[in-house]
Amino acid sequence: MSDFNVRSDSVNVEQIMEQIRSKIREKRGVDYTEEQIYELATVKLEKILDSRGVRSGLLEEFRRVQPPYQPPELPNYSFEDQTLFESHRAPLRWVRRLLLPILKLFFNPNPLIAALHIQSKLNAMSAEREAKREAARQGVDQLHYELLHNLVVETTRMGIEVHNLKMRVESLASRLEFNERRARALESVVVYQPSPEIPEETARQEVPAAAVGTTTEAAAPGRPAEGPGLRSRRRRRRRGRRGGGPAAAVMGAQAPQGGEVGPVGTASEAAHPPPERSTSDRSPTPEGSASPAERSPDPSGLSEQ
Amino acid sequence: MKLAVVVQRYGQAINGGAELHARYIAERLARHADVEVLTTCATDYVTWRNELAPGLERVNGVTVRRFRVKHERNPVVFARCSDQVFEQTHSVADELEWLDAEGPTSPTLTNYLARRSHDYDYCILFSYRYYHAYHGARAAASRAILVPTAERDPAIGLSIFAPIFRGVRAHMYNSPEERAIIQAVAGDRDVPSVVVGVGSEVPSVTQPGRFRQKFDLRDPFAVYVGRVDANKGCGELFDFFDTYVREGGGALTLVLIGQSVLDIPPHPRIRHLGFLDDGDKFDAMAAAELLIMPSYFESLSIVALEAWALGRPVLANAKCDVLKGQCIRSSAGLYYDGRLEFVETLRTIERNRWLAGTLGKNGRQFFRDNYDWPVIERKYLDMFDRLSTTAPRSIEPLSGWFERRRPICPPAAQTVAALPAGPSLQPAGSQSDSRTAMAPLDSGAPPLHHGGAGEPHHHGQRQSRRGGGSSPARRTR
Repeated sequence: MSDFNVRSDSVNVEQIMEQIRSKIREKRGVDYTEEQIYELATVKLEKILDSRGVRSGLLEEFRRVQPPYQPPELPNYSFEDQTLFESHRAPLRWVRRLLLPILKLFFNPNPLIAALHIQSKLNAMSAEREAKREAARQGVDQLHYELLHNLVVETTRMGIEVHNLKMRVESLASRLEFNERRARALESVVVYQPSPEIPEETARQEVPAAAVGTTTEAAAPGRPAEGPGLRSRRRRRRRGRRGGGPAAAVMGAQAPQGGEVGPVGTASEAAHPPPERSTSDRSPTPEGSASPAERSPDPSGLSEQ
Repeated sequence: MKLAVVVQRYGQAINGGAELHARYIAERLARHADVEVLTTCATDYVTWRNELAPGLERVNGVTVRRFRVKHERNPVVFARCSDQVFEQTHSVADELEWLDAEGPTSPTLTNYLARRSHDYDYCILFSYRYYHAYHGARAAASRAILVPTAERDPAIGLSIFAPIFRGVRAHMYNSPEERAIIQAVAGDRDVPSVVVGVGSEVPSVTQPGRFRQKFDLRDPFAVYVGRVDANKGCGELFDFFDTYVREGGGALTLVLIGQSVLDIPPHPRIRHLGFLDDGDKFDAMAAAELLIMPSYFESLSIVALEAWALGRPVLANAKCDVLKGQCIRSSAGLYYDGRLEFVETLRTIERNRWLAGTLGKNGRQFFRDNYDWPVIERKYLDMFDRLSTTAPRSIEPLSGWFERRRPICPPAAQTVAALPAGPSLQPAGSQSDSRTAMAPLDSGAPPLHHGGAGEPHHHGQRQSRRGGGSSPARRTR
């Protein structure tokens, strides 16, 4: 473990634990207490509950499936003191009222009437309460659904984000690995650095050789001189192309007249011809100056030297 | 000298913590005295069903006298009684009823002790919370030495135990934390006591390679040894280990050894090997990178001591004061309090070979200094010598019929919650008047350097090693 440090021979467990805890704090950024975590969760929940943030087609569907609450039609629970003796026939009503004292001789109907009256009120209250409760329950159901839906949306969003971040991390890791490999490879190559004492001509001799097959910027001042490894690679590439010359001829020799176009920007070389060089320095196949047909293949590659 | 070891269960195949502890102590003390074990016919600690024959028997050269259990445990009654005494205001009679419901109710054993206690010089009673220890201590108070094996559970808060703690001749504690909690409950500071613990039969030579080959374990692994049980913190362990694998990026596999009463999640990096014999168990510990102890309640972890004896570091649950205290005092283990700390401590031990090696080395030294058998035996023999010169004690009698039925006892859980918590950072002295304070870990209190002959604090331990102090290890070797 690189970031764990115990220097002495004797171990102090408490000190190690303190180091571990501080490392955890560093990783987490902030060491949240339980209360803080709950507070954050509450804030998050409120944010989720915010109706403006809801993007829900499902919610509409849910509301469509569950129509707004319609209170049921309740039966008539009313019971008054005359209800027992009522009739749609007026004479019958009159007779009943007339005989009521006689009825009261047999039993007292008043407690019964009072009880039924109270019961009717209770029934009405109960029904009303039940209707309210049902309406509230439906509202809570909708709220729960909304909350659940938003949680799902949020989770999905976070999942995607995590996925993206993972991919980014992987990409960065691979790029880092590639760069490390590249750096190692470059380090292993012996770089030839021309010393300031070298005559200008020698330097010039190096520059065109380096510029072959590359952009004109390669010859720009300030650019580090290329090592022999790079040059030899380039030489091999060129040799390969020369080797491909007859094949091109077989295929109809359709190479452009301006010379074989290198992979990178040989056209710019045509626009900016290479600097003047001495005959002894001149390469037999300066790119951009002769067609492949004019070039003589040089398997040994010694002409580059 | 004739000694009686009184324990709830006893036998070669019984591997409960206190029972194994009692067997080890009986077999070791049998080299110095005539030891007889008084126990029940039960083998199952849940039902206390009579499964063994009553009478005399010899186990590993020790005479064992078994007594029948009067009735099995009724889980419904026990649960009701537990709820009554742990959670509600109750009476002493309720607590006695709870004790009877808990079992193993063996009046024949306690009657035998009452009649024949004078045949023994000392009666070593294991596990304060059971029927045999409570009534046995009252029956043979003048000869009773208690090995409480107390944990920080609600039972320690019951009022019936305080007179027992105050009235026995001596306490043989497993850890300074245990001593502190019992002293806080009972105020028994004038009772002779010593922190002893228990040794283990750790083989001098182990074969980790053989174990790896036998169980086809090629990768490095952490081992858990014990009953795979939610009460032992295994559920939390699985959860945390999964996090370690997913987020920690560690390479360890978790190997579980022991019977399982918990569903083990199917996980490519968790392997359950079941119950293994001692040879395989020790080989496994020797092959492991570390031992994990996720338990919340322990009075002493023999497995942790065995891992230390084999030079392996321990990762313990910081919620268990005893394990945390041992890790700090021994400098031989780390502890975790929560998921993140688990992942980080496990990674630390896994990746820092030097640290793991040093922790293991400290553990081996800690075991040698404190838990090697000569040290343990010497502590017991010293205590017997000491008690031979002190007057016997008596236990306060139980209150009268009406008084026992007055609901004046607070809920035991409430009592326990009010007790001081945290690992003991002070060295454990053997003197009865040693003051052990429970200092919170983060208090920043400097460790004290006691010259006690008990379990030394690691600072004191180093001091004694360098300066030639009088640690028990030095005296015995």
